[in-house]
Amino acid sequence: MARVHNWQIGRDMSYWYPEARPTRQFAAVFDTNKCISCQTCTVACKTTWTSGKGQEYMLWNNVESKPYGFYPLAWDLKLLEKLGPQAWTPDGAYEGRTLFEAAEAGERVLGWRPEDLDYAHPNVGEDDCAGGSIATGADLQLPHDKWFFYLARICNHCTYPGCLASCPRASIYKRPEDGIVLIDQERCRGYQECVKACPYKKVFYNPMTGTSEKCIACFPKFEQGLQPQCFVNCIGKIRFAGHVSTPAEAREDNPIDYLVHVRKVALPLYPQWGLEPNVYYVPPIHVPRPFLRQMFGPRLDAAIETYRGAVDDPDLAGLFCLFGSTERVVPRWKRTGDTVIGLEEDGTEIVRVPLREPVFIRNAFDAAHGVVRTNTP
Amino acid sequence: MRARRHAIWCAALLAACGGSSAPPPATEVTAARRTSLAEDPAAAEWAPLPEFRAALLLQDMVEPRLLKASTPDVRVRAMTDGRQVAFRLEWPDATKNDLPGTGRFSDACAVQVPAANEPDVPAPQMGEPGRPVEISYWRAFWQATVDGRPDTIKALFPGAAIDHYPFDAPALAAGSPEQQAMAKRYAPARALDNAMAGPRASPVQDLVAEGPSTLRPAPTQRSRGTGVRTAMGWAIVLVRPLPEGVSGRTRGQVAFAVWDGEGQEAGARKMRTGWIPFAVEEGR
Repeated sequence: MARVHNWQIGRDMSYWYPEARPTRQFAAVFDTNKCISCQTCTVACKTTWTSGKGQEYMLWNNVESKPYGFYPLAWDLKLLEKLGPQAWTPDGAYEGRTLFEAAEAGERVLGWRPEDLDYAHPNVGEDDCAGGSIATGADLQLPHDKWFFYLARICNHCTYPGCLASCPRASIYKRPEDGIVLIDQERCRGYQECVKACPYKKVFYNPMTGTSEKCIACFPKFEQGLQPQCFVNCIGKIRFAGHVSTPAEAREDNPIDYLVHVRKVALPLYPQWGLEPNVYYVPPIHVPRPFLRQMFGPRLDAAIETYRGAVDDPDLAGLFCLFGSTERVVPRWKRTGDTVIGLEEDGTEIVRVPLREPVFIRNAFDAAHGVVRTNTP
Repeated sequence: MRARRHAIWCAALLAACGGSSAPPPATEVTAARRTSLAEDPAAAEWAPLPEFRAALLLQDMVEPRLLKASTPDVRVRAMTDGRQVAFRLEWPDATKNDLPGTGRFSDACAVQVPAANEPDVPAPQMGEPGRPVEISYWRAFWQATVDGRPDTIKALFPGAAIDHYPFDAPALAAGSPEQQAMAKRYAPARALDNAMAGPRASPVQDLVAEGPSTLRPAPTQRSRGTGVRTAMGWAIVLVRPLPEGVSGRTRGQVAFAVWDGEGQEAGARKMRTGWIPFAVEEGR
């Protein structure tokens, strides 16, 4: 085991390989407050990448309704229970054990392996959180029942991937140019160690090819400066893909850095597991905080307060306006008055969006023609 | 106490003098010379051959390790025609695991020999850098395919309902080069000719390794084999070229490994032996 630095937990930790950060790291920000769980991202991914034999059950992208929706079943709860209660210091450093430090004898990573049936009912339980009791007609009486939120998930292309650490054949690699984590389909022998080790359960075994497969961050698109399919098809415009820096190298004009490091409004999912995941979430603002702190770590409250203030914060609100505005990856951005501009690295303009969309109101009665307008085409 | 010691001594002596009808246990794997090889594990030709009972050890030296012992031993018989050698492996296994899926693992076995028959053998844990070992690997998943299981998801999950595969579009003639090329695009491991990806014509794969984590397909497929279920578990015959340099006078080394799919054993998680002396019956 090597010693590596994980800025998300504020300390060094043990990892199977020495620290080797890529030149640039693929990253994303998802705004959970905008997600409507339409699953368009899921279908976009499905039709692009997993239409083959043995991939029928695979959802490299999925959206689940928290707290009771899962894919696979109870993916996070099982691991949280296995890891046991852990603690953060008041200043945000993690005092507990990561999954690498908590690995059981004979293992490289603390994990568990789903079975077929765990994938059989994606998001089962999604409708069980609307509230009420059995006496008033609900199907189930559950501990928390007046809230839910949608959690869209892809591979986190972690800085310290559990899948990569667990593979005894070194069939999994992290690309030095963009940090995307891939499984070498020529070398994999289907031992399913990665399926067991990935805490986010984003590696899937293909029974027809005998190998494991995973989200590839649409690298053929990303290499051409385009955002992945699940990003550009997002109806709610909740997603933004780009590159994240380390805190010391963060740049204000990098959209991802601005949200993650400068304003700290987007947080990693289960940072305590120690993988330094690179999909960052703007947490939902209406969900009980203890639940969210367990999921997003100790910087949760500050992130929500910052997000709530976006209405009076043209820079923060403006940057969110760039989400879903272009298929291109936007390496740089700036705001000029009421306009937000996405730029290439060399300053070439990619896209320009207004801070507030103009609103046009047509009166129901058209006085010029003396008729009532209808919306019938 | 003295009388008891005496009884044990007499029993041992009787056994050594052939007082029992059972042949003495073999102390090495000896390949009997035959003009042709029996490739059916159930063939009668195997019964009279000496049997070596190889105790299996946990692979608990490199992660991921197997920490709970499963298959206790493997019984080995061997025969050779002077060019090839056939190993018959039989081991107890109450459950047949030949159906792939998430969390499902294959029963399997392997025969390993040093690539070069030298007095100083490489490490039995799959060789060493620069000192490779050759491995013949049999897998129950593949045996089921060879025995006729269709290459369809419904063969694995009978209740599966499939709407449509893009490569089954009516515009593509079934079996045409265009159709097959498109099907491969949706199966990257097959497109890259990963030997694991199937559908396989043989249940056996030739592999080469120079230490843990270095396993790779051999340049040429030279081994073949067949596996069948028995009343107690599996019986497999693996046929491969007789290791060079092994003859009636010169011994070689051989090692075995068994994976119990029920115990989720795969890759490094296996029961294995160290090197076992391997001899060929003196010419007759």
